[in-house]
Amino acid sequence: MTPLTPMEQSQSQSQAQTQTQSQSMPFGRRVVLERYAVEHLTRYAYTAPVSQSWQLLHLVPRSLPWQSLLSHALHIDPMPDERHDATDAFGNTATHFALHGAHRQLQVRMECVVEVGARPSDFSAGAEAAWEAVRDAVHHQPQLDDLVPARMRESTLLVPWSEAARVYAAPAFALGRNWLESVTDLMERIHRDFEFEPGATTVSTSVDEVLYQRSGVCQDFAHLMLACLRGHGLPARYVSGYLLTDPPEGQERLMGVDASHAWVAAYSPQLGWVEFDPTNNQLADERYITLAWGADFADVVPLRGVILGGGEQDMVVEVSVVPGV
Amino acid sequence: MLRSLLSGYSALEGRYDELLSGPGAPRPHWGAFLHSLAEREGTEVGETLALMDREIHANGVTYNVYADPKGADRPWEVDPLPLLLSASEWDEIETGIAQRADLLNRVLQDVYGAQDLLRSGLLPPPVIFGHGGFLNPVRGIRPPGGIHLFQYAADLARSPDGHWWVVNDRTQAPSGSGYALENRLVVSRVFPRMYRELHVQHLASFFAALRDSLLRWAPRDAGARAGAPLFVLLTPGPFNETYFEHALLARYLGFALVEGSDLTVRDGCVWMKTVEGLKRVHAILRRQDDDYCDPLELRSDSALGIAGLTDCARRGTVMIANALGSGVLESGALLGYLPKLCEHMLREPLKMPSVATWWLGEPAAFEDAWKRLDHILIKPLERSVREPAVFGADLSADERILLKARVAARPQRYVAQEWVHVSQAPVLEREPASALVPRTVGLRVFAVATPEGWRVMPGGLTRVAPGDSRGIAMQRGGRSKDTWVLSDAPVNATFSLLSSTVKPEDLVNARANLASRAAENLYWFGRYGERCDASARLLRVAIAGVLDNTAERRDGASPALALAQRMGLIDEDDDTGAGLLRAATHRDAAFHQRLSTLSRVAFNLRDRMSADNWRALNQLVGDPVFESEASLPVALAWLDRVVTSMMTLSGFVLDGMTRGFGWRFLSMGRRIERLSNLCTALQIATREGRSHGLDWLLELADSSVTYRSRYLVAAEWLPVLDLLVRDEANPRSLAFQTKGLTDYIGKLEFSHGRFASDVLAPCHAALSNLSPADLSPESPALASVLDQLQRAAYQMSDELTLKFFSHAASRSVLSLVA
Repeated sequence: MTPLTPMEQSQSQSQAQTQTQSQSMPFGRRVVLERYAVEHLTRYAYTAPVSQSWQLLHLVPRSLPWQSLLSHALHIDPMPDERHDATDAFGNTATHFALHGAHRQLQVRMECVVEVGARPSDFSAGAEAAWEAVRDAVHHQPQLDDLVPARMRESTLLVPWSEAARVYAAPAFALGRNWLESVTDLMERIHRDFEFEPGATTVSTSVDEVLYQRSGVCQDFAHLMLACLRGHGLPARYVSGYLLTDPPEGQERLMGVDASHAWVAAYSPQLGWVEFDPTNNQLADERYITLAWGADFADVVPLRGVILGGGEQDMVVEVSVVPGV
Repeated sequence: MLRSLLSGYSALEGRYDELLSGPGAPRPHWGAFLHSLAEREGTEVGETLALMDREIHANGVTYNVYADPKGADRPWEVDPLPLLLSASEWDEIETGIAQRADLLNRVLQDVYGAQDLLRSGLLPPPVIFGHGGFLNPVRGIRPPGGIHLFQYAADLARSPDGHWWVVNDRTQAPSGSGYALENRLVVSRVFPRMYRELHVQHLASFFAALRDSLLRWAPRDAGARAGAPLFVLLTPGPFNETYFEHALLARYLGFALVEGSDLTVRDGCVWMKTVEGLKRVHAILRRQDDDYCDPLELRSDSALGIAGLTDCARRGTVMIANALGSGVLESGALLGYLPKLCEHMLREPLKMPSVATWWLGEPAAFEDAWKRLDHILIKPLERSVREPAVFGADLSADERILLKARVAARPQRYVAQEWVHVSQAPVLEREPASALVPRTVGLRVFAVATPEGWRVMPGGLTRVAPGDSRGIAMQRGGRSKDTWVLSDAPVNATFSLLSSTVKPEDLVNARANLASRAAENLYWFGRYGERCDASARLLRVAIAGVLDNTAERRDGASPALALAQRMGLIDEDDDTGAGLLRAATHRDAAFHQRLSTLSRVAFNLRDRMSADNWRALNQLVGDPVFESEASLPVALAWLDRVVTSMMTLSGFVLDGMTRGFGWRFLSMGRRIERLSNLCTALQIATREGRSHGLDWLLELADSSVTYRSRYLVAAEWLPVLDLLVRDEANPRSLAFQTKGLTDYIGKLEFSHGRFASDVLAPCHAALSNLSPADLSPESPALASVLDQLQRAAYQMSDELTLKFFSHAASRSVLSLVA
């Protein structure tokens, strides 16, 4: 996912600062319903025939109080020999399919229309709670929000415990500091200290490596922020989705300029799940379309698969998000 | 006699001694055993013990497990003296373990289901969620019969007051029951009379119960397809340290031994890839860690898994034992909560307690731990090689501060456990002289779920800690003991695995389902074995020819070199003596690569080969000849060694293997390879024509002796070609290969349909139609037959691959995509 243009960034930064200075003021509050047409195309070309292929997709946007899925279709070529949908452990829709005949290319095209409104966050409620209070509340009342926060405090394969991340984040978590302020501060730090650099990392780059090289992409920043929050005992989850980025003035929206995006939802008993985007230094608003969430990227990979044969493979991903349909 | 037997043995202060209740006073249940031991022949105690030791060897009952695939020998050694447990003592263990297994299964049902224990605060969520064994994708799956935990093992230790405690629960893929079985076979043969007279409880019914339960719980095919279900034992493969046990158990239970790549998922079911095509699998006895079982939904970096297995579990089309996710119960923090959970879930107190364990995520426990540091050990909640348990008493003041800081950073990751002074039992020590000495022991016991409740194996694996180790943890491997549970009444001795309620015909015969991968390995083992043999013989002939001074040998140098080039053993411009020496003894040369390939293929067949065979091959690959430049005599001696080893190997194939499907594939590999090599040799020999001698060819084909005994003249074309082409009685002739192949292929086609007889039949006919006049190097008829046979060899190999190995042909490639 590309970050916002410099002008957009500075706008959202000043917005965030305004926000942290006057906490009671709701932020990004435009009560409108935005409608988007999303197209997400993934194409593999293999140098040798693939004899078997098993794939697991997370490509059905969630239905949420602020998000409705108006239409959705998955076009898979070649036609799968078997396919079915299931709900995963986090409530996402997972699509399983398999191909048992030889093929040299695989294309998955997802088309949907989504309506997104404002998130229900009301920052006036319990906004003064200190971050330690949030941490302790989850410890003492693990049953909060159906045990999800308790699950989202633990390390995972892709976000293992990182002492380096905990130390990096520590200045944001001063003794007794307000939770919202602390987490927002952390988001700002990551945005300020890290360079967005496509290609600087791969799917297997660790949080510690990202911290060391101070660059990465949205997925790395989301994982880093999760490590920082969980390192302080705070529950947070990984969110996968799309972000509308406005085309430069006077230019037509092009297919493929966007990619899928990732951000973080942190939990407080008072405010619920608040979505922070460290890549763009802003809270998620109507421009953020939610696909799926989980403990880390591995839980919500849009397309994850195992194939037999295939030789070298070449992959192309194109995403377009068209507003106002 | 009894006095002298025990003369060197004394109990240790502050420990429970399994044998003695006081100085020189054996516990009552050891009485009969010791008495009988003392009665044996031999006047000196050392002699008695040495005799016993010799019996183990004489009966061929010691066994070595080469756990290290690189060939480093780490023998699993069995101590001849069993650990004896009285009937009443065993009753307590048995009831306690059965209750505990039941409780643990209920905990799994809850944490992967309703999660009421976590919600109600009876079990702090970090104890479960903070353990890597908790698998999110498994949430909501209800295995057949609600049995998440099918096999359970517990490590027990006995404290100074004589009570047994659970130190560890093994719920992932508990190992050791196979070793216990093997120990029983060994030790019962050393003491056949005592074994009978002491009424030692038998183990076989435990394994029968295991098989029976799987049969009753595993899903079946519906309707017309319903037949005997197929059960497999899933192993991570020969590199795993307990592979020996996997092979042993699979054989004992009659299950097919498979690796992840032998299984595939289609239409929501698991299938085994066999030479007969895909066969539906109904139950998987899992010895591979669950997170590596499915690269699609679990760890994506697993190369061992079966893509889609989790989804099959979700649909209930296969019984996986233990169910995916069961490893979470190995969370060290769980131990401390079990008494409360037992009261809550079973409405009764926990009968078999755990060694006192505290989860340091509880602030009170965290504070308390530092006050009692001298009496506890601190370890991570999750077993970790990098972070072993620390004995508090060992630490200096500075180290204590460091440890506290490390734990304080994330206390929920640690547990404190009471340090138990574990009991000791007598072990036969051989050095410096045979004597009984006390050693720390721990007991691993095993339980299996049955529809009638939990069944506990009467006995178990007693593990002996090396030296006078104080720890309760025991090294891998090391020494172990058989465990005898004595009963007051005679045991039913007629019971064996075969007389259980499950009859062998209820199960698909494991060997009938030859995995494609195993068949392919056997085929290539045959081909590479033959190829290495041919290469060694050819190099020997060529080196002798180039470097020797005798005229006949030099005569054959030119065609032998041409053949060596054709067979890829030497480069075209490398026909000097030095080049040949290099080809035979250099690590980068093709010959060494062929030997390595053969050894690799053999490694994958370890469950079918003896350790001796495999080790002999391994030694060839690592022969010292590859370490420095070799001289002519050294190189020739080395090639002789290779030829001898290869002959030993064929001896094993002839004598040591059952003539099943697998043997047929191996034999076809040898015949096809030999056919092809001999065709090439004859093509080159006839092309080079009459200017060269024929001794090299006879030597290459190992037919010199036959020729001389039959013809008593120097090698001449007609008789040599007759011997190597047409003579069906010469195992090195073309006719012998085609005859054998016709036979094997005929048998396979009878059961599997036609695939290669069309290729072979005309060749065989053409060969029979050759007249004596055609047996000359200039004969076009001979040249044409050689070409035809050569092509047929390639074609048969392709047809075999297509027909039987295609399921195993490709490799798994993983793509994780952003």
